Parts: sequence; structure tokens; C-alpha cells
Amino acid sequence: MTAVADIPTTESHDDADHAHDHPSDATYLKVAGALGLLTALEVSTYWWPHRLHKVTAVLLIIMMTIKFATVAAYFMHLKFDAKVLRRVFVAGITLAVCVYVAALSAFVFWDNSGTAKFDNPPHHRVVPPPPTLPPVKTSAPAAH
Amino acid sequence: MTDTLEHEEHATVTGISNEKLGMWVFLGSECLLFGGLISTYMLYKNRSGVTAGGHGSPIRMSDFFDIPFTSVSSFVLLASSLTMVFAVTAAHRHEPARMRMWLATTAALGAVFVGGQVYEFTGFVREGRAVRAEVLDQRELRTNGSVAMDSPFETTLPGKAVLHVEFLKSGEVMVQRSGEDPVTLDPNDIGAGFTSSVSSSAFLTLTGFHGVHVTIGILMLLTTLSLSLRGRLPRRKAESVEIVGLYWHFVDVVWILIFTVVYLIK
Repeated sequence: MTAVADIPTTESHDDADHAHDHPSDATYLKVAGALGLLTALEVSTYWWPHRLHKVTAVLLIIMMTIKFATVAAYFMHLKFDAKVLRRVFVAGITLAVCVYVAALSAFVFWDNSGTAKFDNPPHHRVVPPPPTLPPVKTSAPAAH
Repeated sequence: MTDTLEHEEHATVTGISNEKLGMWVFLGSECLLFGGLISTYMLYKNRSGVTAGGHGSPIRMSDFFDIPFTSVSSFVLLASSLTMVFAVTAAHRHEPARMRMWLATTAALGAVFVGGQVYEFTGFVREGRAVRAEVLDQRELRTNGSVAMDSPFETTLPGKAVLHVEFLKSGEVMVQRSGEDPVTLDPNDIGAGFTSSVSSSAFLTLTGFHGVHVTIGILMLLTTLSLSLRGRLPRRKAESVEIVGLYWHFVDVVWILIFTVVYLIK
């Protein structure tokens, strides 16, 4: 009697094709090396001069995006798998980015970020004086 | 009959198994969860309040960041992604011994990462307590008359932020971080714990959730390893390893975001 696990199935063929489609171990090592180098570069920015902080932030976001995309494409096999999986994942990321950029904009994050005053009322709020209105003219009731 | 049923179970319109598609949909929804936590941290990272308009500890977690230590943790998690991909490849090639070795290595690297995170968090709490103890000691000196009550006190945090402290007769202290408005609070509220300020709550919630995800990933890896050792992971179920791998890599990409946004961008 043949064990169930020994019966050749279409899935086994799929697996073989699957393994064939995937990159080799050497490719994975190269990808990991590139990710390691990018991470080292990211870490080095911590000691860059403070006057470059805006440039540093932009560079860090670019490097972070490249690392994210590389792990998703190679290690998570999105580059080699069915397109529907890519769509599902990209849809989730796009939705998250849109929702939270809108939320951060609603909280005026882009203007007040980096200050401790965000949404914290100052202790001594300067209250402007009330506007002086011209006196209301009251006319005497008309005599009937 | 069993085999036929399994075939029917795997025949899907998309050509992708329900389990794999389900994992991808789950990961897509996880983007929203972590997006929310990262956004909350970005909003609150510079706030000391414990309530809207209220004041909590003026200390931030970023005052105690140890970038070289966290960088090593990041490299460990990145290396675990490589070992995980080797485990998946071995599973597809039907090399169970090699697969088990890489699964165990991945779980071990994940455990090192979680251990580092626990060490880091306890360090933050300890440093926060040290600052509180310093301020309380200074208040005691002023209360017993050893030092004049109106004599201010300054302390520099490891992240180079300077706290200027003035002692009030009510027992409260007025603390001013360099370049910011002063806050008045009870010195016992100074610290870097989960409820010390909205800033520390947001940080610990975000990184804590990630740590929980890594821990769940380790449990998934150990379960897969155990199934394989008991011979319950035949070749046709190699996809199970791939699904666990997807979760593990997702945890890695989330850390890529957290490491940059929380630790590196000033």
C-alpha cells in the first residue's frame, strides 16, 4: 500500500516549479548583504552633523523604503508570486498610508511637529481684548 | 479518499491556497494596525502630557536611546529573515534536516531580539527612576534647609537634553527642558514608565506590540519545528513553512519602519 505522502500530486509539481522560480541561495545572500550595508548606512546617519538633519531624514526615508520593498520582493517572494498577492499587500499599505497621512494632517502634524506645544495650551495664553463695539442707538418709542 | 479531499481543498479560483491568501490579507490588515501605532507615536513623541493639556513626566524615551545596541538588534532581526528564507527554500526542496536547522536558528535569533528589547525597556524605566530619585533628593535638601529653597537644579539626560528644575513650596517642581515651556508636576510623577507620559505610552505600545508579534512568530516557528520532528510536516505541506515565513518577514519589515521612524529620524 502506498503512503499518502508518497503519491505524486500536482502540488508536488507546483512545489518543484515554485522552487525553480525562486532565487538561489547566493541571490538571497547578496540581497541580505545589500540590506546589511543599507542598515549600516542608516545607523551612521545618527552621528552626522545636526545641521544636515533635513537631508538625513529624507535619505533615511528613501533607504527605509528601499529596504522595505527589497524584503517584500525577495524574502516574501512578491516579485515571483501571483500578482493578486502583490495587489492585496500594496492595497493594505496604500490604504494605511492614505488614512494616516489624512489623520496626521487633521492633527496639524506637518506644521507643529517637533514642538512640545503641539495640542498643549500655553500656560499664559494671551487673550486679546474684546472688540469695542459702537454704542447701540436706542430710539424712543414712537408716540401713538 | 483523504488525498482526493485534500486536492479539492486546495483547488482555488486564484490558484493560491486559501491559507496563503488568508495570510496575505491578514498582513495587509496588519499594515493598518502598525500604521495607526506609528502615527500615534509621531503625534505624541514630543509631548509630556498625560491628558490633553495636562502634564506628565518631561522625560522622553528618546533621551535614553542606545543606538549602537538597537542597531545590533536590528541586524539580528535582519539576519533572521535570511535564515527564514533558507528554511523555506529547504522545505520546498524537501530537505527536512536543513529546514529544521534554519527554523531553529531563526527562532533563536528572534529570541535574542526580544531579549534585547526587554533589556532596553527595563533600562529606560531604571534610568527614569534614577532621574526621579535625583530630583527627590534635591527636594529633600531644600526641605530640610541644607540648600536654599529658591536654588534651582539642573541635570543632563543621557540624550544630552538638559532639565532645569525649580522647587515650589507646595512640594511640586517646575521642570523645563531646554528650549521648551516649563511644566509643573509632582516629582514622584517623573519617570519613563508606561503611564509616565503620552510620549512614553505611545513608544512602549508601538514597540511592545512589535515585540509581541515577534514572540508569536517564535511560537509559530517552534510549532512548525515540532511538527516536522514528529513527522507531521510532509512535503505536500511545505507551504506551511512558507506561510510562517511570510509572517516572520512582515515582522522584519515593520521593524525596518520602526527603527528608522522612531530611533533614527531626529
